[in-house]
Amino acid sequence: MQGFVEQTLNGLTFAGLLFLLGSGFTLIFGLMRIVNLAHGGTYLVGGYVGYSAIALTHSFVLGLAAGAIAMAVFGVILERGLLTRVRGMPFSELLLTMGVAFIMGDTALAIWGGDPLAIHMPGALDRSSRLGPLTYPNSRFVILGVAIAVALLLSYLLGRTRVGAIIRAGVDDREMVSALGININRVFTAVFVLGALLAGLAGVLGGSLLTLYPGGDSDILVFALVVVIIGGLGSLRGAIVGSLVAGLLDNYGQAYFPELAYFTLFAPMVAILLWRPQGLFGKSTV
Amino acid sequence: MSAAVRVLDRRPGWLRAAVALVLLAVAAIVPQLGSTFYVSLGLNFLIFGLLAMSLDLIGGYTGLVSLGQAAFLGVGAYGIAWGLKQGMSANVSIGLALLAVVITALVFGLAAVRVGGITFVILTLALGQIIWGLAYRWVSVSGGDNGLPISERPALGPIDLSDSAAYYYFVLVVFVICALLLRAIVNSPFGLTLRGIKDNEPRMRTLGYQVGLHKYLAFVISAFFAGVAGVLFGFFNLYISPTAIDFGHNGTVVLMAVLGGLGTLWGPLLGSLVIVFLQQYLSIYVQRWVTVQGIIFVLVVLFAPDGLWGLLSRLGRWLTRRAGAAPGVEPHLAERSVVGSYEDDLA
Repeated sequence: MQGFVEQTLNGLTFAGLLFLLGSGFTLIFGLMRIVNLAHGGTYLVGGYVGYSAIALTHSFVLGLAAGAIAMAVFGVILERGLLTRVRGMPFSELLLTMGVAFIMGDTALAIWGGDPLAIHMPGALDRSSRLGPLTYPNSRFVILGVAIAVALLLSYLLGRTRVGAIIRAGVDDREMVSALGININRVFTAVFVLGALLAGLAGVLGGSLLTLYPGGDSDILVFALVVVIIGGLGSLRGAIVGSLVAGLLDNYGQAYFPELAYFTLFAPMVAILLWRPQGLFGKSTV
Repeated sequence: MSAAVRVLDRRPGWLRAAVALVLLAVAAIVPQLGSTFYVSLGLNFLIFGLLAMSLDLIGGYTGLVSLGQAAFLGVGAYGIAWGLKQGMSANVSIGLALLAVVITALVFGLAAVRVGGITFVILTLALGQIIWGLAYRWVSVSGGDNGLPISERPALGPIDLSDSAAYYYFVLVVFVICALLLRAIVNSPFGLTLRGIKDNEPRMRTLGYQVGLHKYLAFVISAFFAGVAGVLFGFFNLYISPTAIDFGHNGTVVLMAVLGGLGTLWGPLLGSLVIVFLQQYLSIYVQRWVTVQGIIFVLVVLFAPDGLWGLLSRLGRWLTRRAGAAPGVEPHLAERSVVGSYEDDLA
């Protein structure tokens, strides 16, 4: 029972990390129809930048900011510089981001080396708390807290502001939005940068949860795909549910069927895809 | 080079056959150069060429680009490794491996061909990751991170394939047979139907073709050839590990096919030649080979969406037009941007 509670907590906190990654991914996919295979690379490089910034300034908060902002800048360059050239061609966009993902992973290996790097949170956050019979690391709660805060912010942004209304309208029908005189390209850039920023933030937090290592980019990218496929494209609620399902499934799978861990994660995803190709919360027109 | 392409494009059959024979002769000379490096280069080229061509059947001709093609190579290679580990003979292991490939494809195909476009790409990526995940984690069967050794090569009657030159010739023969089979498939009524599905699926359905069944068969056939490449790959390296079928390697196969030109069969072969050559040769001098590969990816997407084959055909046509030799040469199929022609289906 204690083991089950611990696995559930692990799953929930991992789901927090997955949400930070998946929310940006799903918005980019939903609005721009881009499968951003560089999202994992953005996560990893963001984490590495954060690691270096922390080593330099000894401030975890500055590290978080550095990782997130560096990746936001990178997002502007990728979207404005490369992706606009193949706009509207989903297969080309996918291949382009795959090429960028190769470059990012290899460059990160060249700069930060092949050994796993762990980011430590400052002070009390790096220690553990007692929850009844259970001792649990505080850093994992921090990640869950950040994810909840981001979820609230995003749902406010999408649900209550003008920009959010434009984004939601764009997910439903981009042609109509541009026909109404809104510069959809600017909205595209904004959403892409937001996604990259969240991925960079997730990278720094992920550095404390999973450590940063070569190949970590494609590992986490696959989780982002699972979250989006389960939840549905372009749906924030879908990203929340998808993260929870993926996070919990992965932890239960690793705990109870360690040899078949990936199977327990992917088999339900394939089943959902067959049953509802648009995902649990996706619109059927997508 | 462009002249050769032009010849292959539209000269009469005997000339095309002559060019193919010359290329075969070049391939046959490789082991006589006396360098194991060239033999290994040639083996890599033949094996990955076959893999890229198998991807072209489903990606280029049917319009369903799979990001999980290396997974079937993995099933083939793991199949023989597992069979040998259980004490089976090499020949029985090969049969077992190919059976495993077909069964996996029959199961995966049920899911994969129900979706199209970008969703197919993501789904095959996920299916490929299942195979990778099992190879990585199912330690009792796959050896996990350490992989599995492949203890022996099969004997072909009196010929001992453990000699690398002999094995090279064996792979060359298998490759030629598979290439001819693939060519026969894409030129058959079945292959033409696949092209029709790629170009206009609703119309093919309206005409009464069983679109789903055709896609399903194409998926399974494509996987079978990838599995054959896997068997050859396994006996070549005498070892298989999860790294060979990870996300990056699945991407590399797509890169080979796209770089060469999807939907041309020989294009992906050319693409794999370039990538294998760069990989084996450049990696001696440049440590950041993967970065180079990523840059090639980006450049191809931006500047040569129809791949090298299309680029060479265009160059060949331009040269003949300059020479004033061929007014009214009919535009060849490869001229069309192959990547571009998917976009309608994928949007």
